[in-house]
Amino acid sequence: MMAPDAPFEIPFWGANTIMVAIGCAIFGALAGSVGTFVLARRQSLLADVAGHAALPGVALAFLVGEWFGLSGRSPWLLLLGGGISALLAAWSTPWLASKRRLGADGANAVALAGFFGLGSVLFSVVQSHPSGAQGGLRRLLFGNAAAMTSSDAIALGVIAIVALTTLMLAFKELSLLAFDEAAASVLGLRTRVLEWVLLLLLVATVVAGMQVAGVALVVSMLIAPAAAARVLGGSFARTATTAACIGIACALVGAIASRAVTHVPTGSAMTLAATAAFFLSIPAARVLRNSRARVLTERAS
Amino acid sequence: MSSALALQSTLAVDAPALIALLCALVACGTLGNFLVLRKEAMTGDAVAHAVLPGLVAGFLITGTRSITAMFVGAACAGIASILLANWARRTTRLEPGATLGIVFTGLFAVGVLLLETQGARQVDLDPECVLFGSLETLFYSPTLNGEWYTGVPRALWTLAAAACIALIAIVLFMKELSLLAFDPSSARHLGVAPRWLERLFLALVSASIVASFEAVGSVLVIGIVACPALIAAPHARSVTHQITLSMILGSIIAVLGYALASHAPTLFGTATALNSAGMIALVLAIAVPMSHVAKRFIHRPM
Repeated sequence: MMAPDAPFEIPFWGANTIMVAIGCAIFGALAGSVGTFVLARRQSLLADVAGHAALPGVALAFLVGEWFGLSGRSPWLLLLGGGISALLAAWSTPWLASKRRLGADGANAVALAGFFGLGSVLFSVVQSHPSGAQGGLRRLLFGNAAAMTSSDAIALGVIAIVALTTLMLAFKELSLLAFDEAAASVLGLRTRVLEWVLLLLLVATVVAGMQVAGVALVVSMLIAPAAAARVLGGSFARTATTAACIGIACALVGAIASRAVTHVPTGSAMTLAATAAFFLSIPAARVLRNSRARVLTERAS
Repeated sequence: MSSALALQSTLAVDAPALIALLCALVACGTLGNFLVLRKEAMTGDAVAHAVLPGLVAGFLITGTRSITAMFVGAACAGIASILLANWARRTTRLEPGATLGIVFTGLFAVGVLLLETQGARQVDLDPECVLFGSLETLFYSPTLNGEWYTGVPRALWTLAAAACIALIAIVLFMKELSLLAFDPSSARHLGVAPRWLERLFLALVSASIVASFEAVGSVLVIGIVACPALIAAPHARSVTHQITLSMILGSIIAVLGYALASHAPTLFGTATALNSAGMIALVLAIAVPMSHVAKRFIHRPM
């Protein structure tokens, strides 16, 4: 009846575990670096909306897949569905905010209620579906890396690597857009295209994180490592690198914790690690600043 | 005979759910007007997530589903989340949305973790129920020789109390809350004590959300905090007008959503039960842009 959620028959350090751990680490790097841009553009809550908005797409993709007789558990199909609906939300929310004069907060709340509302309606349809495969969908809510298969990990890894490569290639242009949109357009950059690239990167992160962090908690892996890196300071490129490193660490902690302890959802463990990283970064930044000041005064004397 | 049975089932199943829905709408929606005016609509979302660990901890410590323990725990978590987010924003100077996002997802993760690992899952408090609500499980089930009120589900009493408290607070502090929303600095000059009023307001919002949370779920809480106010905003002439309008339009649309969720499956000839909280949130969200479009067609002399 249940989906093959039996991770404990597999040896703890088997090939599957290593694949999943690599997938999680790549996701952590992606979430940290994309989160730096999300934070710079002040779109943290939009990321929350996009994460939740993946649910209706995933549920619909599952139902469509079952309708056509495909396996509803095909990872690519679910990722495609989630990606389309998350993109729709990430695009329509700023549109609602500006064109319909709801304000960013109002538009976020409306989009969140609408998309997640639709998601829960479709989810209830999926749950009453006779096929036994719907058990796999439940873990997309809070994430469960322990139940991931190698093909899930490969799908995640491919998406994350493509997104990371794009981010690195367009890093200079994207950071100009994030900080000074007017300057970017004066310098002849196509700001519309770059904005779409950032939206697609956000959606790719959400989609890649669905299985490990879950749709409800993926936002935390986007903003908390980036915020911690921001607090620690440094140039934008260095912030993005630090954020990626913190992201990798949090993702691995989450994946290992959920593998080692029964019933711990990966998303919760990752979120707790990321939140802890953020709150630890505040005293850490103070210590760093003090030691830097001490070095400077020693040099001066 | 069949009509009597139908009436009985309506009374037992639909009536408690509808009353719970309307009470939650009054409790959250009225205060939500001020949140929307203050451009803090997402606070509703944040509090709805952050109260979870308090709720679960209250349950785990007392070991029973006692209203007071869970309510106190959840209200503490709600207020703590806002204070913590404000502190983090002041020390790190990040955007408010980021610190709020980090704090509420962190607390929500603690709540989910407690639910999944501790015994709280044996009760009907499971993580899915927390997200999607449990309007479908509110039944009127009187015992054979008890008084009529013994069968009323517990959540209904909490919700009714929250709705009354919210209404009384709004009637008492109407002017002060409006002033605080539109012009905080002149509120201070006029001696409104904005900090205390703000705290009182946030405590009221947390209490309303906690009371509604269990019955309608976090999806619908976000919907009923923000959507009615945003539906009414383009047509309102004053704050009082906006609140009244938001309650009237909000209740009509919410009841419509409930009817859609419970009757659409029979129209399509399937027996699938649709999640009513999700459907109501969806219908409320769709109504917001529609209301803005409708404004163009309703020509009102100013």
